[in-house]
Amino acid sequence: MVGLAGLLNAQLGPKAPHFPAKAKRVIFLFMHGGPSHLDTFDPKPRLIRDHGKPLPFKRPLTFAEGSTGNLLKSPWEFRQHGQSGIPISSLFPEVAKHADDLCIVRSMVGDSVAHGGATLQLHTGSNTFTRPSMGSWVVYGLGTENQNLPAYITLKPGLSHGGAKKWSSGFLPAAYQGTAVGLGGVPIDKIAEPIEHLKNYGLTPEQQRYELDMIQKMNRSAAARWQNDPELEARIQSFELAFRMQTVAPEAFDISKETEATKKLYGMDTPETSDFGWQCLMARRLAERNVRFIQINHEYGPGNEVGWDAHNELIRLHTRTALQVDRPIAGLLADLKARGLMDDTLVVWGGEFGRTPIAEAGDGRDHNPYGYTIWMAGAGVKKGFVYGATDEFGYYATEDRMHINDMHATMLHLLGLNHENLTYSYGGRPFRLTDVAGRVATKILA
Amino acid sequence: MFCRSLLLVAAVALPVLAESTPKFNPIQKKWWAIQTVTAPQPPTVDAAGQQWVRNEIDHFVYDKLKAKNLTPAPLASREVFLRRVTLDLTGLPPTPAEAQAFLSDSKPGAEERLVDRLLASPRYGERWGRHWLDVVRYADSDGFKQDDTRPNMWRYRDWVIQSWNEDKPFDRFIKEQIAADELYPGDAKALPGLGYLRLFEDEFNQANIHLRRQELLNDLTDNTAYAFLGVTLACARCHDHKFDPLLHRDYYRMQAFFANIKIDDGAPVASPAEVSAYNEKMARYKAAAKPVLDQIDALLAGPRAAYRKEYIERFPEEVQVVIRRDPAQRTPMDWQIYHKAITQVEVEDSLVVSKKGTADVKAQYQRLLKDLEQFKPLLPEPLPVAQVMRDQGMDAPPTHVLRAGAVDAKLEETAPGLLSILDPAPATVVAKPELNSSGRRTALANALADPKNPLTTRVIVNRIWHYHFGRGIAGTPNDFGLMGDRPSHRELLDWLTATFTGADGWSIKKLHKRIVLSATYRQSSDFRADAAAIDIENKLLWRYPRRRLEAEAIRDSMLAVSGLLDRTMGGPGVFPSVPAGTEIQEGRHWRKSRGDADEYRASVYIFARRLVRYPMLESFDAPLAFESCGRRQETVTADQALELMNGQASAKFAQALARRVGNDPGQSQESLAERAYRLTLGRAPTEGELKRSREFLTAQMKLAGNAQGALEDLCLNLLSSSEFLYID
Repeated sequence: MVGLAGLLNAQLGPKAPHFPAKAKRVIFLFMHGGPSHLDTFDPKPRLIRDHGKPLPFKRPLTFAEGSTGNLLKSPWEFRQHGQSGIPISSLFPEVAKHADDLCIVRSMVGDSVAHGGATLQLHTGSNTFTRPSMGSWVVYGLGTENQNLPAYITLKPGLSHGGAKKWSSGFLPAAYQGTAVGLGGVPIDKIAEPIEHLKNYGLTPEQQRYELDMIQKMNRSAAARWQNDPELEARIQSFELAFRMQTVAPEAFDISKETEATKKLYGMDTPETSDFGWQCLMARRLAERNVRFIQINHEYGPGNEVGWDAHNELIRLHTRTALQVDRPIAGLLADLKARGLMDDTLVVWGGEFGRTPIAEAGDGRDHNPYGYTIWMAGAGVKKGFVYGATDEFGYYATEDRMHINDMHATMLHLLGLNHENLTYSYGGRPFRLTDVAGRVATKILA
Repeated sequence: MFCRSLLLVAAVALPVLAESTPKFNPIQKKWWAIQTVTAPQPPTVDAAGQQWVRNEIDHFVYDKLKAKNLTPAPLASREVFLRRVTLDLTGLPPTPAEAQAFLSDSKPGAEERLVDRLLASPRYGERWGRHWLDVVRYADSDGFKQDDTRPNMWRYRDWVIQSWNEDKPFDRFIKEQIAADELYPGDAKALPGLGYLRLFEDEFNQANIHLRRQELLNDLTDNTAYAFLGVTLACARCHDHKFDPLLHRDYYRMQAFFANIKIDDGAPVASPAEVSAYNEKMARYKAAAKPVLDQIDALLAGPRAAYRKEYIERFPEEVQVVIRRDPAQRTPMDWQIYHKAITQVEVEDSLVVSKKGTADVKAQYQRLLKDLEQFKPLLPEPLPVAQVMRDQGMDAPPTHVLRAGAVDAKLEETAPGLLSILDPAPATVVAKPELNSSGRRTALANALADPKNPLTTRVIVNRIWHYHFGRGIAGTPNDFGLMGDRPSHRELLDWLTATFTGADGWSIKKLHKRIVLSATYRQSSDFRADAAAIDIENKLLWRYPRRRLEAEAIRDSMLAVSGLLDRTMGGPGVFPSVPAGTEIQEGRHWRKSRGDADEYRASVYIFARRLVRYPMLESFDAPLAFESCGRRQETVTADQALELMNGQASAKFAQALARRVGNDPGQSQESLAERAYRLTLGRAPTEGELKRSREFLTAQMKLAGNAQGALEDLCLNLLSSSEFLYID
């Protein structure tokens, strides 16, 4: 029958991965602005020793040409945590309790020193062109097991630095586009509707069901008259799906039935952490419902100022931003584990770049795409593991470099997709998320 | 495999660039698209075919069908043909009155009269102009991160619509876009066509000007190759094309035509007389206001210098040097850099004052502005302006082939020229001293609009066919290359092309007429299992290919049948209100709707912001304006169903339609249903449909509690139905 196997399904129905894999979905925690690896997950004793001295080698291109100075030690103390003894700074006391679950990558590399290019590259693989975002590629490759919800949801994304390109399907069909829920800078209680057009303002569900039955009768008679048109069959399915989404999606976004203990676990009980906590809790709810790619965004905006982008006042800005995300992230990790979701969910944390070991404007740090840290946790990656390293100042990745393209290749691999085979033909040639690059970091695979 | 990795291999193996005469392999030389366009005789058809054919097109189609033992479909009914051709040519369904007029016209030539009427409708240009806007990636904003508004870009959009409406010969249409200023100086009607050159994605405050210049030239080169030549020349930016005979060097030969252009966002759309009248008035104003203007200059000398200094120092050293260089010493390349840099340095006084003025300066400036007001009556009305690109002078900077496309990896210099496989010689360029212009674009315009150009001519004819049938004779309108689809009817494409550039004098409307009056176009869309068994994709056209309407036609049709469509043409983009939950932010991306003036205009006039699209158009596959779109996606998503079922826009349209349907009191349910069907689907409901509608109205009235609500639901159902959304 054309119906279920029809077009709609061909676009979004679940598809087998290229090879068996543990991870079925991704939760990506995007730290917009660029958290300092030197003050969080990549301790540098040499910076303590040489604090205030000039950088002993030629400084590469930075963003704030001209206002950078000498080496700056981390104002935060690092301690070893868990069985693995992974050092984590006092900025992340709660996440540190999960040290034995983390797979820390200290050797990330990107190509752009400015936010726009770096953010685009992190999301699409390219820092210049308009390309499909990583979530779109994942959904293109794997489809979704829950057609009652969008397959790819980004929570409170920011519109600066690439805007909708960050969750755009680019030249892939629109069905693979990310669905934005809320916006960076807009408080959660101001989110009128999680998804546009989800609510009907005029009709009761009964009336609407009746209305839908009428549309479907019309469409079925058109389909009968216009025989063998798979598109018309797919359109009938699309209305049924839309009707189901109306009931399923609001339920998914409704956290009123969560216990107070759960809300507290995510930090929804304090104003500093409630906003990011809501996103983390929502991510868990969407993961439970088999949404394929979920992105959580910590954005610039009112209350957040410049987020992680501490060109000056590193202490004040990083202290506040870390406080906003630490407890919610730890809550998410704990909750995913408790519910068994950690076994088939890949969690990725990171910004578009790290920050420089030299000071900017006296008490800040500039952008550093040459060597920085992200971490992963969950399905398919080693636990309590540190991969790669930067030089003794933390400027350049020196061991097991993981370029953004490599990270994408690795992420696809963890989902059972071969990044070289996940291609889409457009404008006369096949394209892929990793374009002509990308190597899977096999050492981090569990 | 992928372009860049192959480059590395190829560059080591064969030093292509060192060769002076291009070598192409036999397959490349036999590439169908570059062969001379022939004018083949339409094949003769057998007796059965004689019964079916209506014009030459049908001879070619019948011949191919017969070779596969296929037969064409019989003609569709006159009702179906009327709806098909009306939607196709105007993007709107026929009104009941139009249907009545056509269906009761039994005199010979009724179809031709119908088509003539449709082609003369202003809606025609709005629909077909929109197709062209896809191809040239039209947008009202810059794109990139800032996505700044281009306040006068719409003059190009209006110029396109007007050109299609007046059936501007396509060669002229090409020439005005590439070189209106050089070829038709002083022609204010032609000038906005130059906006074509201004449609690249951009970010005006980039500090790396060399890179920005290269990127915009790349964008323009890529698009010109897609839009006019139908080739993926973009692949040759870094290396020779892997499949097509397009050389790495060709990319830069093509780019060299544009090497000398600069942005002009204030090009007056006015006759020379109007411009000089304006200038005279302005001079009188300045003379009268001189004492105050001098005071402003004196007051702001310091702040302007401070602003200038700060912003110059933000540039890399090589740009700073150029800005500080004595103008007499600047090379053409310096000028390229200078023009792009200076707009970041020399800005309006209001910005200078706000950034660099002390409180005292701010206060004094406000006072002086007040003083200026007395001279206001002397100020001339501002001239309408277009956003275009034109030459910066007679001498163009050198263009180099760039290794791997990198701006700083210059290889040998190249002169402007077409694709080497068409003509390896450099283009003949004659400078235009009287216009202070290099003449390069004139050479390109003439080469593209040459009836002997095998690509430009075939490409546009194929595009027109594509929009009529949902699929081109060559299925990939932007890629005629060896990796693109082979043409299904090569002789037909040649015959149409030869006729188009020959007897029809590049008239698109004549081409439309030939196509829509053919038996091929007028076939029924009915499915036949035996034919499908042989040609499932209907490539040989054994029936009319049913397809979904484009986003704009869906919205405009809803507006039209509900009586809301505002038929005002042209002007700045409008901002219909956006639904809650969308990523569009009012204030930032979107002006607040002013009510009717924004809500009900045809979709082609909706403000086209690059980073966010109007949601209803986006969900029905309106393209992103980042790259040329020769063929839209046609998706079926739950998004679309939600948009129809729950969207505020469709609800509003359904309410208006219900008011229109029920405007006579005391109508029976049958007559309401009948009128709703006629307005939306252009036909009377069947017995079964009538019965269902009656039942629906009764039941829904019970649920809703009022008859109007029930009628609105029925109307929304009709607007959401497949029959309304498809061209059959």
